[in-house]
Amino acid sequence: MVGALARVSLLIAMQYRSDFVFNGLTGLLRTAALVGPLLLVFQHRETVSGWTGPEATLVMALFLLLSSMTGALMEPNLGAVVEHIRRGTLDLVLLKPADAQLLVSLSRVEPSRLWDLPAALLLGGWALAQMPAPSPWGVIGAIIAVLSGLAAMYGLWLLAICTSFYFVQVDNLRFLLMSASEAGRWPLSLFSGWLRVVLLVAVPVGVVTTLPAELLRGRGSWEMVATAVAVGTGFLVVSRLAWRRALASYTSASS
Amino acid sequence: MIRCMRLVPALVRFSTARVMAYRAEMVIWILSASLPLVMLALWNAVAAEGPIAGMGQGEMARYFAATLLVNQLTGVWIVWQLNYEIRTGLLSTQLLRPVHPLWHNAVWMMTALPIRALVMLPILGALLAWRPDLWVRPDPLMLPVFALSVAMAWALAFLVQATFAILSFWLDQSIGLFGVWYSGWALLSGYVAPLALFPDWAQRPLRFSPFRAMLGLPVELLGGFVSPREVGLDLAVQAGWVLGALVLVRVLWRRGLRHYGAYGA
Repeated sequence: MVGALARVSLLIAMQYRSDFVFNGLTGLLRTAALVGPLLLVFQHRETVSGWTGPEATLVMALFLLLSSMTGALMEPNLGAVVEHIRRGTLDLVLLKPADAQLLVSLSRVEPSRLWDLPAALLLGGWALAQMPAPSPWGVIGAIIAVLSGLAAMYGLWLLAICTSFYFVQVDNLRFLLMSASEAGRWPLSLFSGWLRVVLLVAVPVGVVTTLPAELLRGRGSWEMVATAVAVGTGFLVVSRLAWRRALASYTSASS
Repeated sequence: MIRCMRLVPALVRFSTARVMAYRAEMVIWILSASLPLVMLALWNAVAAEGPIAGMGQGEMARYFAATLLVNQLTGVWIVWQLNYEIRTGLLSTQLLRPVHPLWHNAVWMMTALPIRALVMLPILGALLAWRPDLWVRPDPLMLPVFALSVAMAWALAFLVQATFAILSFWLDQSIGLFGVWYSGWALLSGYVAPLALFPDWAQRPLRFSPFRAMLGLPVELLGGFVSPREVGLDLAVQAGWVLGALVLVRVLWRRGLRHYGAYGA
């Protein structure tokens, strides 16, 4: 089911091949610009708030992974749902014999944003090679944290989708979400206490970026993994409930 | 030109209503530009162990407070607006109006500036409460210079975005191209890091680049980071970029319009 959905949306997006290549090139340039500040910081300092250059690069790589996932999978679907609701075509989606949440979350893919993935792998690989090898538990914990964090971010975007049932103009919410997650590019220890909590629990980018990096550099603890899992499950459950509520209150444009 | 001037009051009234109609969106848009705060957190941590390139924590706070304000004062969105109008053919209606579409948009985007600055006030106030030493009494002579520089930075931002938008007469991907320009701008204009922190060999090209003319120069003027001896040359370079962009926009606009007409629109 998921495979079929992914194939269809990939086919739609691949119709514009030259766009795909063009977006790849622009994506590479954008990534280069993202790394710029890192180079500047570590030209002046060995460590910042206890993070070395490679460790901070690892956080940046994890952020690129997240932003490519958000850009490829979550953001286009938010736009699609808003469009569905405005035109009343959401009824057609709801009539399909599959879970509507699944259909809505995977109806569109923006493959050009997947171009960030090789950059993320390259940066992350370089960073890990510069650091002492992580312990197996650290690796397992980091993988769990990344997956939980991605689940949490998905939950957050689904919540944003749900608000579009009540307010028509949520397009702008997208920009707010994206700019709020920008802060996750940097290790959370740079920020003051309350902002750190916000970036772990409310806009859970920190779960995808900082927590796994902590685990991989051997500063992790089982509490971090537990936090990650709790935040991930929490967002999934809450967004599922919100989706149900939103659907229940949906009065289609045609009725 | 004189006829245009007479239309200005009406345009301002119309544009203000347009800005106020979308005030909630406007606020969200403005708050989305919070990246200077993130960068301040970063550079504040870096400067905690001692000043770098002559900038301590107080200077960093002052620099990014100024960035936050100047970024709002130079905010335009003509590239999306004009690209949309060209793609959908809405431009044809705009061309029928007695005012040049670019003027029309310029006035619209200028009337949004007071609101943009107002929304920033509480954030700037919070920054001041957090780090009172960011405040220095501004040099009264520098204020008009700063105002002039901000005005030119706004004009340059508008003209650069208009250039990319005009490219949509020929290209489908003008917005993507603008994205590339934007990433370069973010890195090299002083938006994510004060230009003083760049390595020595980059200082000269950065000083004369169009990116600094769009943001870094007014920010440095407001923060008092430019020595009075350099102001004259810096302003002249900025004016040069504005003029160059103006010529480019005029030429491209004429040619683009001829191309657009060929569609029979």
